[in-house]
Amino acid sequence: MATVMKETLGLPIEKTLAYKLKQRDELYNESGCYWGIKELTLKNQDPIKFEQFFSRLQSAVFAAREKARYVAASPGGREMGESVWALATAEGDTLAMSLGFISHCAAFPVSVKHMIDNDFEENPGINDADVFGTDDPMTSGAPHPGDTYTLVPIAVEGEVVAWACSVNHIMEAGAPQAGSWPVFTVDTFMDGFVFPPMKTGENLRQAKWWDNLWMRRTRAGAMNILDDKMRLAGCSMIHGSIHEIIQEYGVEYYKQACKEIIEESRIMILDNMRASLIPGRYEGSSFRISMLKGQQKIWAHADRNEMVHVHAVFSQDEKGGIVFDTEGSSRWGYHGFNGYPGGSDVGLFLGITTTFAHSCKASAGVNMNVNSIYHKGSIYNPDTEFASCANIWAQSMQMQCLSSSAIHRNFFMRGYLEEAFAPEDSWDGVQGSGVLADGTPYGFTNFEWVGGGAMGAYPFKDGTPCTWAQHTQLCNVGNSEEFEYLIPPLHHLGRKLEPGYCGHGKYRGGVGQSSVHWMQETGQRLGVTRGGSATSMTSYLASGMNGGYPAPGVVTVTALNTNIPELIKADGDTPTTAGEVLEYAAEGKLTGEVTSWKYDPPEQSMGDNDLWANAAGASGGWGDPLEREISSVVEDIRIGQLPESFAKTMYGVVASKNKLGEVTLDQAATKHEQAALFASRKAESKPAVEWWKEQKAKVESHSIREELLEMYRSSTSFEGYNKHYRSFWQLDDDFEI
Amino acid sequence: MEVVDKGLLKQLVEGRIADDDVDEMRRMAKKDHQRFWTYLDILQEKVSWDNTILMRLNDHLYIVMRGNERIVKCDCGHEYGDYRVNWKLHTDIRTRDTQESMEKVYYPTAAAPDADWMEVREFFCPGCSAQLAVEIVPPGYPLTFEAFPDLDRFYREFMNKPLEDESPDWFKDKTADYLAAL
Ligand SMILES: [Zn+2]
Repeated sequence: MATVMKETLGLPIEKTLAYKLKQRDELYNESGCYWGIKELTLKNQDPIKFEQFFSRLQSAVFAAREKARYVAASPGGREMGESVWALATAEGDTLAMSLGFISHCAAFPVSVKHMIDNDFEENPGINDADVFGTDDPMTSGAPHPGDTYTLVPIAVEGEVVAWACSVNHIMEAGAPQAGSWPVFTVDTFMDGFVFPPMKTGENLRQAKWWDNLWMRRTRAGAMNILDDKMRLAGCSMIHGSIHEIIQEYGVEYYKQACKEIIEESRIMILDNMRASLIPGRYEGSSFRISMLKGQQKIWAHADRNEMVHVHAVFSQDEKGGIVFDTEGSSRWGYHGFNGYPGGSDVGLFLGITTTFAHSCKASAGVNMNVNSIYHKGSIYNPDTEFASCANIWAQSMQMQCLSSSAIHRNFFMRGYLEEAFAPEDSWDGVQGSGVLADGTPYGFTNFEWVGGGAMGAYPFKDGTPCTWAQHTQLCNVGNSEEFEYLIPPLHHLGRKLEPGYCGHGKYRGGVGQSSVHWMQETGQRLGVTRGGSATSMTSYLASGMNGGYPAPGVVTVTALNTNIPELIKADGDTPTTAGEVLEYAAEGKLTGEVTSWKYDPPEQSMGDNDLWANAAGASGGWGDPLEREISSVVEDIRIGQLPESFAKTMYGVVASKNKLGEVTLDQAATKHEQAALFASRKAESKPAVEWWKEQKAKVESHSIREELLEMYRSSTSFEGYNKHYRSFWQLDDDFEI
Repeated sequence: MEVVDKGLLKQLVEGRIADDDVDEMRRMAKKDHQRFWTYLDILQEKVSWDNTILMRLNDHLYIVMRGNERIVKCDCGHEYGDYRVNWKLHTDIRTRDTQESMEKVYYPTAAAPDADWMEVREFFCPGCSAQLAVEIVPPGYPLTFEAFPDLDRFYREFMNKPLEDESPDWFKDKTADYLAAL
């Protein structure tokens, strides 16, 4: 057979990336198997060799992560789980991943496809050891510009056979609003330093201009360059290792084995899904406020408040794979809570990859078992190329928790209770910019409450605090000392668990954590904001688990012009959590302008002795709170995780704690209080049908605040949700919502 | 561990299991397929009524057989009717729509949802007053149908034990039909 050549590349056509991509898709569509692989020939012929081969790939990416972080890195990159290294096929499909951000495997094929579809093979050329970078949600599958990717092609005699890939969350994204997740963004032009896939270096070296761009277009240029070097160092190690492995096994074995690895894991992950799920329809929702009205006067079209609605139905396809339909979620808007499908998948896969890619190779096999449906025009698939995605990690993590919630309900229904918990944890990142006394400008992000939160309650025990992060197995809240060193004016006056802050229930969620940042030596200027998955206007998810309350959102409290120096002088007793800041203020002990925010505050100009306090990472409860063991409530009071006053209103438990920390339960009062709480259920509720009629009247008379009506109009502009909404309230087709 | 025996599963269901045993269950390479049957056995023994449990929906609620119907039933004995209608429509609902009432269930006060935008809905069993579900949503939001399992498909395809009364009609959401008839 004559070889057909791609003359411009000097390669046989079947060795070009464009051909491989097309072939992969055609064969999958025909056969339902990756690359049409119906039999795992290499595995069956010599399973030991096959497994040894895979363990070499896996070791290469693990080693890359463990070493690269010590070559160069920002503290966020080095200490926390905010990164991943991976090996992908020529088409961008993941073969092996290090620990860390593993759901980003959903983004690599989007970047690679973009480069192929735009003829990068011809111009600028895709050659061995080139360096490509990107962080553009629209073209590369990146969730938002804070997540920055490095991709290095691995080629043998001109044929690209693999990519070394890496991503980490950088320290500052270069948007008008400083930090990593600007929330006051109107469109992509306010997202910061956004760049589609581009060649930034050759022969495993970045070009000089590339470093200059980081320095000129972000406020933490030096940190971001360190992270860039970290990503490339790891990719360079993977590049070296894979060339060695190819030498040893031969390129034909390499190419075929890689296809078999992915097909094998596709089958095993589907098995894992079928072994733990129950086919059906599982509905969930969540809400996130975008409060921009009155905050600026320049962009009139963005001068509005919007309640972003996240709605999803989880079901199964005919094979037993997951179908996740987000219909009913809001239309995209002039705010930062949008994302494109690649980045939305990175969100969705957080829970799916970690739940189902076990006891097998964690590869792109998982992607083929999930059909995510993001309706054109929605927050997950805007019908514009200019949508802002700056804070996608709000509504995409809520969306992923809806998927996890359905999965965990399934575990419960099937009897696998040991795996079932209320999967919620919010994150919060304090961010901003300033100018030091000597005139040095800087930008910063404090990642502490991004790196870890609490686990939700199980159907048999309480959730544990600070032990979980949806986005990484490497839950880690970082070092206080390191953050204080990097962000000169922010000092921890307190950093600990926030008592009572969780979703309550028969088993309560893990308690969230709080910091009180005390501003000192603020220099010429300091402006502080936050990026965050949630605000306390809404709960994290809309539904709790089986009678438990869903996790609360994130708490933000600011205190300006305080008397902290006097308190320190008096007895040193200062507030150590966000809740305490409010308590001290209520008692008159803390003076100044104290504000509790249920939405993202606009940038706060802060000076010496101002406070920024936050609480995040709380998780959800499970079951009826009145079924909670009284002894568990007493124990929570004893360990300082539940205030006595709240134990009474929430659980009807009357107990007091003395100065020695001993708790005395008042049994008679508890019995009385619990009986009263129980009786109030009948007294204060009404039959659902009666409730429905009243609510329907409210809907029909538009007796709902305008922003929420707008939310319903937005969601019902999608046909399926419109039908759902109208049929639930029995509204006529011509009724104007 | 390859199979979780009935005694251990009962401890898990009742919340009195040792952490080490839970860890071992989590380390199972493959989940034991028969777990579902053991689970149903334990649950059936715990309830005081005789209807066959087809599936557990909730801490207190089960889909059970009643003659040739499939209904939702509380462990207290209260019956919610056809399982294809969202069972929340047969509960008692309490709404918390003031800031003060929301602060009774969230702490610190700064963590409570905003009553100007959201309401807390608590769903109680009319029979035993157990709190079965909580929703925190804007007013005017439809009730969430949390779980509507396809029983026929699950029993046939996933458990290899088809139900005797299989029909494509069992997996049709009847919530809207029920509301239309009100
Ligand atoms: Zn009941």
